[in-house]
Amino acid sequence: MKTTWRDGARVREVELRAIGPGRWRVRVDDAEFELASETMPDGKLRLATDGRVTVAEVTPAGPRRFVRLGVLDFVLERESGGSRRGSAAQGGGLEAPMPGVITKVMVVVGDEVSKGQPLVALEAMKMEHLIRAPRAGRVRRVEASPGQMVQAGVALVELEEPAPGA
Amino acid sequence: MFQKVLIANRGEIACRVAATLHEMGIRSVAVYSDADRGALHTRVCDEARWIGPSEARASYLNVEAVVHAARDSGADAVHPGFGFLAENAAFAEAVEAAGLAFIGPTAAQIRAMGDKREARRIAESAGVPIVPGAEGADGRALVRAANAMGYPVIIKAALGGGGKGMQAAHDARHLAEAIEAAQRVAGSAFGDASVYVEKLLERARHVEVQVLGDGNGRAVHLFERDCTLQRRHQKVVEESPAPVLTADQRAIVTHAAVRLAEAVKYRGAGTIETLVTREGAIYFLEMNTRLQVEHPVTELVTGIDLVRAQVEIAATGRLPFEQHAIKRHGHSIEARLYAEDAARDFLPQVGTAVRVRWPDGPFVRVDAGVESGDVVSVHYDPMLAKIVAYAPTREAAIERLLGALDDTRVHGVITNLPFLRALLRAPEVRSGSYDTEWVEREFLAGFTALMQAPAPELALAAAAIAEATGPGRTRANGAAPRARDPFSELGRWRQSGLGE
Repeated sequence: MKTTWRDGARVREVELRAIGPGRWRVRVDDAEFELASETMPDGKLRLATDGRVTVAEVTPAGPRRFVRLGVLDFVLERESGGSRRGSAAQGGGLEAPMPGVITKVMVVVGDEVSKGQPLVALEAMKMEHLIRAPRAGRVRRVEASPGQMVQAGVALVELEEPAPGA
Repeated sequence: MFQKVLIANRGEIACRVAATLHEMGIRSVAVYSDADRGALHTRVCDEARWIGPSEARASYLNVEAVVHAARDSGADAVHPGFGFLAENAAFAEAVEAAGLAFIGPTAAQIRAMGDKREARRIAESAGVPIVPGAEGADGRALVRAANAMGYPVIIKAALGGGGKGMQAAHDARHLAEAIEAAQRVAGSAFGDASVYVEKLLERARHVEVQVLGDGNGRAVHLFERDCTLQRRHQKVVEESPAPVLTADQRAIVTHAAVRLAEAVKYRGAGTIETLVTREGAIYFLEMNTRLQVEHPVTELVTGIDLVRAQVEIAATGRLPFEQHAIKRHGHSIEARLYAEDAARDFLPQVGTAVRVRWPDGPFVRVDAGVESGDVVSVHYDPMLAKIVAYAPTREAAIERLLGALDDTRVHGVITNLPFLRALLRAPEVRSGSYDTEWVEREFLAGFTALMQAPAPELALAAAAIAEATGPGRTRANGAAPRARDPFSELGRWRQSGLGE
């Protein structure tokens, strides 16, 4: 069974093959190893590799898996078949970085903006975040109005494609 | 003594106040919004009243709705907790006008100290040194004043406090933008867009003094707390005693705090916040006219329940103890657990806290506002819990807190737990050599890099195996719904002859 996971900025692949009861051949990216697993009565997993035992606790929450390994926590996100959800909220800068309420819209369609110029102010949990232009350009679309509640990742402003050679 | 108290708050502080009321044999009334239907704080109180829609402005900040709930429930007093209406003078007035006691200072004191510009004037006249600063509605005038006093400066909401909406600016260009942003946050969070500018004292420590006043001019202090470990001007780790205060500095700052509290005939619990510079100078920052988030560290080192003291002062108009009876032993340290992604600019996080396990053990205290299955929503402050440890020495207290954080599990919503665990392991934190900007200046980059490292292969294997081995093993084994305590169903009851 092949599954794809988002680990921070990385996309990682896991291939799992049962080779016996509670025994697996595992490939994670380029690394291959054998593993024995046992589900304990409290739901935790007891994982044995090379004679070393680690207790893992996996909690699903939507596409996310919260994985406790020994004393360390990791958060992985299950990528569903083929759909490559980009991390637009981190890169583009024009999407709401978190759920919140729009407090101010500083541009209208057609405005020429310079790189770094604040476009929209978003408030969540009493903290304000300014969404700034990632580059210079003309505003094509504004999907935000003051008082509006938005979810994380929702596009708020769209800039026109930069003219070639401009 | 009061028979019934309404707690005008939510989350962990509402739960914490309810615990003391319960111990005192006073019935507690919770209030809740749509988003908080069935929330933990409504479950731990004796009764609960709906006060409006999810948006705080329509519910927890709605004076009329909260006062109506208080009167309607038959409460004889209101405890405001912190945040929301705790420092709202109009609310204190409305509570008293409705014939109920307000467990806190007078409306006039809230108003005076709530206007941070007025507070600075009061402190100055009580002989407490203040940070150089400027005020006024005109942004350009503030920029000119900042140019004159030199950068960096910090912009604060005049009616703010607790670090909300504070912005630092390192030059005139960013100051204008920062003033505008601060005005907006101030307007929406505090209902008044006025801001003021203070010189940013670099590499300073945040030291504050807990006071209690009887409202008639007598006040006592419960020593200091150090809240220097901050991110985005928000405290994350607090402790008492302050690790690097000399005996002289401690005497100066505690005496100044008592002098200030007595000068305004302060009533109830309050905190005088100061900055201690590298040179050892102490400057007044502001006075918070409420219980602080970090009050547990003071409670653990003094053995005094500050909520009980608040209730007793409100009911009797007398201090429950004299200064000489207040002693401090050992060391206490607290970590604030926030739903936020520390590796991504501390972005607040929302979601369902699917699996929550709080630590226990000797000398560990957890003030929590969520249990397994509770929702962390976008509407309110992202603080989920405070985890506090006590030990005879600072080293042992940090060690104990680390153990408690290692045992803490919050799965389902991203929290700052990895940040707290890394922070308390930092050698600078162990040795006490840091200032209020240290986290962002020297700690954060390394932490972020650590968080961006790939997860070990075993973590991915565990996630895949959990998914492959059927639906049973990935279920969240959260706490089962708690059976109600049959005695709490009976309400307040006492053996005759023992009560008041």
